[in-house]
Amino acid sequence: MASEEKTREILKAIQDAVVGYDEETCERLCSSVLEEGIDPHRAVVEGLTGGMERVGELYNSQEYFVPELLLCADALNAGLNVLKPHLKIEDAARKGKLLIGVVEGDIHDIGKNLVRIMFEAAGWDVYDLGNNVKIERFVEEQKKANTDIVALSALMTTSMLAMPKIIGALKAQNPGVKVLVGGAPLSQEIAQRYGADAYAPDAVAAVKRAADLIG
Amino acid sequence: MKLKQDRMSSAERIDSLFNYRRPDHVPITMIAPTFSCRNAGLPVRVAYSDPQLNFYAMQWAAEQYAWDQAPQIVRHTVVEAMDFGGDVRLPEGEYEGALMVKSYPVKSESDVEGLKMPEPDKTGMIGIAAELGRLQEAHGLPVTFVSRSPFTIASNVCGLQQFCKWLIKKPELCERLMKAAFDHTFNVLRYWADTFGAEKIFVFMSSPSESNQVISPKQFEKFALPYHLLYHERLKALGIKRFYFHVCGEQNLNLPSLADAPPWEHPAILSFGHEVDLETAAQRFPKDIICGNIEPAIIQTGSPQQVYELARTTLEKGKGIPGGFILSAGCELPVASPAANVFAITKAVDDFGWYAE
Ligand code: B1M
Repeated sequence: MASEEKTREILKAIQDAVVGYDEETCERLCSSVLEEGIDPHRAVVEGLTGGMERVGELYNSQEYFVPELLLCADALNAGLNVLKPHLKIEDAARKGKLLIGVVEGDIHDIGKNLVRIMFEAAGWDVYDLGNNVKIERFVEEQKKANTDIVALSALMTTSMLAMPKIIGALKAQNPGVKVLVGGAPLSQEIAQRYGADAYAPDAVAAVKRAADLIG
Repeated sequence: MKLKQDRMSSAERIDSLFNYRRPDHVPITMIAPTFSCRNAGLPVRVAYSDPQLNFYAMQWAAEQYAWDQAPQIVRHTVVEAMDFGGDVRLPEGEYEGALMVKSYPVKSESDVEGLKMPEPDKTGMIGIAAELGRLQEAHGLPVTFVSRSPFTIASNVCGLQQFCKWLIKKPELCERLMKAAFDHTFNVLRYWADTFGAEKIFVFMSSPSESNQVISPKQFEKFALPYHLLYHERLKALGIKRFYFHVCGEQNLNLPSLADAPPWEHPAILSFGHEVDLETAAQRFPKDIICGNIEPAIIQTGSPQQVYELARTTLEKGKGIPGGFILSAGCELPVASPAANVFAITKAVDDFGWYAE
């Protein structure tokens, strides 16, 4: 069992590996978490997620751009793959379940991918339907996975028009499901008009809004 | 449609801008091949599949809204993912407004090695674009050649996400893809020049994947900018003079290095999105014709009054730009824009866009 000092040192090194998009080091450090008997849940929250939070700050301050962000996410996932099998069921299920996709007619998926990454980093169970997703598919998959939240992304004024129909169809099937929307042409006002439960302007805010929605 | 006091034909208006003279009024240009189809009661896919119908739809829209086709902006001549062997399909259904990529030609590093250069006269949509070019020629319009920047083309051959990762981890693969994109573009351009004559060609380029919503200004300088320089060396060598550059999306951080030594022949038409302030653009590119930048989302979702007001304030900012100004949407005119909103832009020019005789 590692000392608290040693544990902190490893967790800090995991954060740095995520921020420095060093996939191999991140994977190795997460293996050492297991070898040293450190709580894997703590390594996910303080190490990997902590690292991704710093990455989010670097992105907001325009030190990092999309290429860096995507590689940081790869490092995070490499570490997560090592730790995930060792998380207890109650750790894994501590956040909600989320279904995410880019709406029909739209292939802009970089923003949606960043949103997914932030949810994964925060420990959500994420089902990603990809881009150009038809209305019926959202409805079917929500039913199958029984997610708490459906997250819809649109980057074009043309494709965002599909949102009210998707929201209507989802609520008709399951009035309890919450819908979060986002993407460049959306706004709080449009989200409300479309009947969404929440709107988020960016990936970090999306996780916060979703957490608020499921209380 | 003619405006109240038109003193010039559309061609004269654009020519006067290229000669640094004030036209009779601020010209209006739109990237609107798909909107024009809807406007004529045709499905959006026609913009990609039927040059005849698309051409006449664009001609009707230009006349209806008094647009100056500077140039007539058609769908892409070079369709990146499709030309290099990817699976791309036409738009269908209620919400699709553009081509849909089903699979990219480059999925792995080894695919970059095996990438084959497309045939410049046969691949993708080149046949359709050439037929459109012939119609433009027959109607006395400049023949448009539409492509994206080599950086954007390359990113659409392997998918932007993969390309972004390679920028950092495998920059040599990005270089190879950009070189292939560049060579292909000029193979087609040479075919265009042989077919139509260099003097008739108007080149249109857009650069969405270089926006600072995606990459940093350093990445722009290192990867994208060198190809802009090469591009214009080759355009000059081919004898092509007219160039329209749509600097797509948020590119404020890229402007300083682009403005440092703008490689195109002046004046070029530089069109900006609503993300870039017109005054900033004019200061950075004093020898060029600035074009823009009404927010497309507002044209689609706003009221006619709102669009009219936005067009008025945009005209106020742009009209006095010394290198010349064209009023336009900040990117492609959304397919679903209401007709009254599009007309509101024309009305604003008729009410506030005139220059003294
Ligand atoms: C569920 O909860 C949430 C919460 C927050 C959410 C969320 C969901 N989803 C997103 N967010 C938020 O969080 C993210 C991170 O903080 C943010 O995500 P974003 O996606 O906004 O940000 C990303 C990190 C980076 N941003 C991006 O990746 C988009 C950048 C811009 C420049 C852009 C790009 C790169 C591309 N494009 Co295109 N493209 C533009 C874009 C300009 C713009 N203003 O957005 C836009 C979206 N494109 C446009 C167009 C017209 C098109 N594009 C097209 C194609 C492309 C490329 C393929 C070249 C490429 C996309 C590659 C890809 N795989 O995604 C075509 C459409 C293809 C299609 N069928 O979908 C085509 C139609 C062009 C054509 N004629 O072919 C415009 C749409 C105009 C309109 N009608 O609204 C556009 C706004 C450009 C402009 N200046 O006008 C937030 O919005």
